[in-house]
Parts: sequence; structure tokens; C-alpha cells
Amino acid sequence: MSAADTRAARVLSLTLDPDRDVDRIHGNGINTIDIEAVEGRYMLSGGADGVIVIYDLENYSGKLQYTCKAVCTVGRSSRHVHKFSVETVQWYPFDTGMFVSSSFDKTMKVWDTETLKPAEVFQFEGNVYSHHLSPIARKHSLVAVGTNNPKIQLCDLKSGSRIHVLQGHRAEVLSVRWSPRYEHILATASADSKVNVWDVRRASGSLFTLDQHNGEKSKASAEAVNTAHNGRVNGLCFTSDGLYLLTTGTDDRMRLWNSASGENTLVNYGKVCNESRKKLQFAVSRGCSPDFVFVPCGSSVAVYALHTGELVTMLRGHYNNVDCCEFHQDHQELYSGGKDSNILAWVPVLRTADVEDESNNDNKGAAGLSAVNPAFQDAWSSDED
Amino acid sequence: MSLVHAVLIFTLEEPKDIKSTLEYLMTLFPRKLFNDTLPQVVLKHQLYSIHNDKTLVDKEVNKLRECGELLMFQLGFDSEAFGLVFTSDYKTKVLAGEEGKGTRTTVEKFLEKVLPSCTDLSFSKDKMLKVFLFTDSEITQLVKSGVLTVREAGSWWLSIPNSGKFTKYFIQGRKAVLGMVRKSKYGEVLQADLEERRTTSQVKFPLRYHVHDIVGAELVESIPTTSGTLLRFVDS
Repeated sequence: MSAADTRAARVLSLTLDPDRDVDRIHGNGINTIDIEAVEGRYMLSGGADGVIVIYDLENYSGKLQYTCKAVCTVGRSSRHVHKFSVETVQWYPFDTGMFVSSSFDKTMKVWDTETLKPAEVFQFEGNVYSHHLSPIARKHSLVAVGTNNPKIQLCDLKSGSRIHVLQGHRAEVLSVRWSPRYEHILATASADSKVNVWDVRRASGSLFTLDQHNGEKSKASAEAVNTAHNGRVNGLCFTSDGLYLLTTGTDDRMRLWNSASGENTLVNYGKVCNESRKKLQFAVSRGCSPDFVFVPCGSSVAVYALHTGELVTMLRGHYNNVDCCEFHQDHQELYSGGKDSNILAWVPVLRTADVEDESNNDNKGAAGLSAVNPAFQDAWSSDED
Repeated sequence: MSLVHAVLIFTLEEPKDIKSTLEYLMTLFPRKLFNDTLPQVVLKHQLYSIHNDKTLVDKEVNKLRECGELLMFQLGFDSEAFGLVFTSDYKTKVLAGEEGKGTRTTVEKFLEKVLPSCTDLSFSKDKMLKVFLFTDSEITQLVKSGVLTVREAGSWWLSIPNSGKFTKYFIQGRKAVLGMVRKSKYGEVLQADLEERRTTSQVKFPLRYHVHDIVGAELVESIPTTSGTLLRFVDS
């Protein structure tokens, strides 16, 4: 089996990790999570209470059962904490010294991780639904911001300026996403049912807008011409090679687009329940063959095969709506956060130690003991039953 | 083939191709209810209830449309509900309905000229006048005969003549069957049990036709259990 097949097999066997949980700091729902790209060790989360927490995902305790501890928190007692719910958090793509958060308190703050104080605060006129920094950009340091104003603002981290504005949408912008392949390409999704793809170097409007009917104007009713969805478009996600773009909308559909031509690949995922009035954060696996999409669906996470549209499984474990999920590329693990204030880790089912392995008796004994969580060990049944 | 024969084949064998699934679903259509004036209509999402791979179903349906064997219609009550009719069936029934009417020649011209060359669901005035060379009065005749219905000013949907009754009974029946599932204990019922039940006068189509519809449109969740398939009402 090639490496990609192995990774795909690991994704197919995802279950709730019995050995690991994440420190429960948030008192309210978790809206957004982000895992840093450099080491894959630290995770940021932003909650409905305005609190931002940083967790260490590595296990240095030596025991199999461990909790991902919160390293530091921007809590309600901090002078700089967001006043209302945090909608998006993102690590600076190149090092963990900085992260950016945006909130319904109409601000976007650029934080210094060391001091947990904002180095820069951008003020907006409306709720900030989404922001994104390009994960590959070397020639620019622009942050795209989607607010309830139809104009998309590009803020420059280096100079603090925000004169660059992208006009084209007619309603609030719910999600913005840079391409992971070309640092100047940006996709934006709006409540006006349209998704625009922009090249920020061009002075004029968008490059193209996604059309769910691929130009076949005959198929739709007159109003639905040139729309990506028959409802608000609230989720955007590029595949890791940047060749495809996934969009989700309140018409309960998810669509896969060719990001270079804007063509709808017409992969049919069926009904992808979507009642979110804000942006939906979903994730795509990387380096698996085939690739999978993880979409929050009510109180579970739905896993679909990317190119065939088949529903592979539903991951159930949350007690309330799931709001965000993030895929850890290196370990093929999924983290999901929701209204029940929990962040759950989903890992591929671990293979039990081989029974034929006689050589390492000590290891086998140790592995046998710690493989069963003491809470599940049967200490009460009698053998005589 | 008879209904019983078709159903037997479908429950015993794995459905292999889309065309035979379509033929099976067509047998569920109640021709007598419409005095045999309507061609057999099936909804595209009913295919999803039988075949798991929706993308494959879409591709196959498009292939059949491209080679002219199948026609697709926007039925009007749901932007995602598309009706499928075999082209030969459609032509026979439409021409039979036009017997002795003044609009017959125009309708014939439309069926011969437009259908084989164009798989669109709707036509704009420009296209009708310039590409297909119809006159304004001919377009009026086509609308009168029911082959075209108004979409918006200057554009028309392709439609099935006299299909209003079909749409009315279909929506009525769908609502009634969904109600049967919803009112069951816990909002769920085994598919086998549901098919045994007596239906009210609201349900004019065979119950199976509606079951394929609500499962394919994901209005109910279809859960495989050890006692057979369970249908659970989906609250949306």
C-alpha cells in the first residue's frame, strides 16, 4: 500500500480518541479552531464568550491517557479580550509568534503570542464573519476580511494600511479564503448566493464568479443565474493542492469546483445539512488517496469522499451542534469544536499489539495494560456467571 | 413486463444500470389514473434511493439525455425536482393528445426540430425565433398545447402537456406519506411495514413511488437495520 493509501485507510477508521481529551476552558460554544502549520503542535481556539485559548497537542506526560493542556488563555479578565464572540482565529502561517483573531465586536486583533497583547487592532463598521491570511504568501502580508459590508477589505499586516477594497458582492461576506497554490488568488463567499474568485493584483473586479449550472442558463429559474448556491454561501475550503474549491450553502448542498476554470465538477454529495447563519468551518484531508471532506452536520461530523460524493461515515460524539473542524495533516487526526464547549479529537483506530510477538514480553505486558482505559476495565464481573 | 415481475427482479438482483432502474421506476407510475394521456414520469432523485453513487447517477442520466433517449423537465414545485421521461413515450403521448387539434403541425415541427438537437430545460425567445426559426404565433400555439409553459417574460420551460394533475396528486401524496412516517411512534417506521399500510384517498400513486421519492430526496433518513430498512422522519 502506498503512503497515500495508508493515510486514507487511517481516515476511514477515525473514531473518538479514548485516550486523549482537550482541556475544557471555554464556558460557551467554540466557534473556530486552527492548528499551526509549522510543527502541528499548538492549537488555537476562539469561543462565543470572546475567549481565545492556546493548547499544546503533544503528549509529554509519558502516559497513554493525557489531556491537551491549555498553554495560555486570553480570558474575560484580560484587558484586551474581545467583547463579543470570536468568529475566526488563525496562526500567522510562518511562526507561532503571532496570531490574528476577529470577532463580532467589529474588530480584528493581531496578537503577540508571548505577551498576549494585541500589536494591532483593525476596527470595522460591521460584524466580522471571517478573515484569512494567505498560508503561502511571501510577496504580500494581506489579511482578507469578510464583514457584513459587501465590500471585502484587505488589511496589510506590515504597514497597517487597509486601503485595498474588493467590490462585487451585494450582501454580507460570510467567508474568505486564500488559495494555497497561488498567493494572489482569493475566493469569497457571500449571502447573495455568489462566490467570487479574485486576483488581488488586478485593479478591476473579480476574475470570475462561480456558476452552479456551468453557463447552462436554461436549467435554473431566472434569479438563480450565475449563483453558486440557491441560498447563502457560508463555507469555503480549498483542497490542499489548491486545484479544487469546495463551497457549502444554506440550500443544503456542497459543491466541488475546479479552481482554475470555475467549473462545477457536478459531484453530488446529496443533502449536506446547513443551518448556519455565520460561516461554516470545514476541512479537507491532505495526501490521502482518496481525499475526504469533513463537514459539521448538526451534532456530528459528516465525512464524504471528495471526488465521488459518497457519505463515508458520521462521527458522533458531541452533545450539541458542531461549529468547526480542523484536520491535522501530519497525523490524520480530526479536531472538532462545538456548542457543547468541547473540542473532541478523532484518531484512527490504533492497531492492537500482535499476539505472535513473543520476543518482547515486557513490552507486550505494558502495552496490554495501558491499552485498556482503567474506566473500561471489568473489575466487577465474576467468572462463575 | 408486469409490475410484480419488475419488483421481483429488483429485490432479488443488484440493480446494475441506470436505464433498467428507470424502466423499473416507470412501471410504478399509475397510467390509468390519467387515462393513459400522460407519459410515464419518474423523478431524478428517485434514482438516488436505489443507487448509492449520486454522482454516477447524474452522469448516466446526462449520457442518456445527450443521446436523445431521455428528456428532463423542471417540474416547478422544487428547484431540485427534475422529471424524467423517455423521449419515445413523450412523443407518442403528445402527438396522441394533439389529434384533431389545430396546433398539431406546430407541435410536430417542435418535436422533430428542437428535441433531437437541444437538451435544454428552457428556451428563450431569442433562441426560438433565431435558432429554431419559429414565429411568434407558433410559439403561442406551443404554449397553448402545453409543450411549453411560461418561465418569465420571454422564456419558457419545456413541459409535459396536462401534467398539472400529476403535480397536484404528487405533492398531495408526498405530503400524506411523509405524514404517515412522521406520525409513527418515534417518527420512524420500517419500510416493509409502511408499504403494508392502507393509504388514505390522498395517496393516489402506488406507495412505493412515494417511498422512492422521499428516500431519494432525503426527506427521510434510510437506515439499514437487522429487521430491514428503517425510514426516519427528518426534521428540517
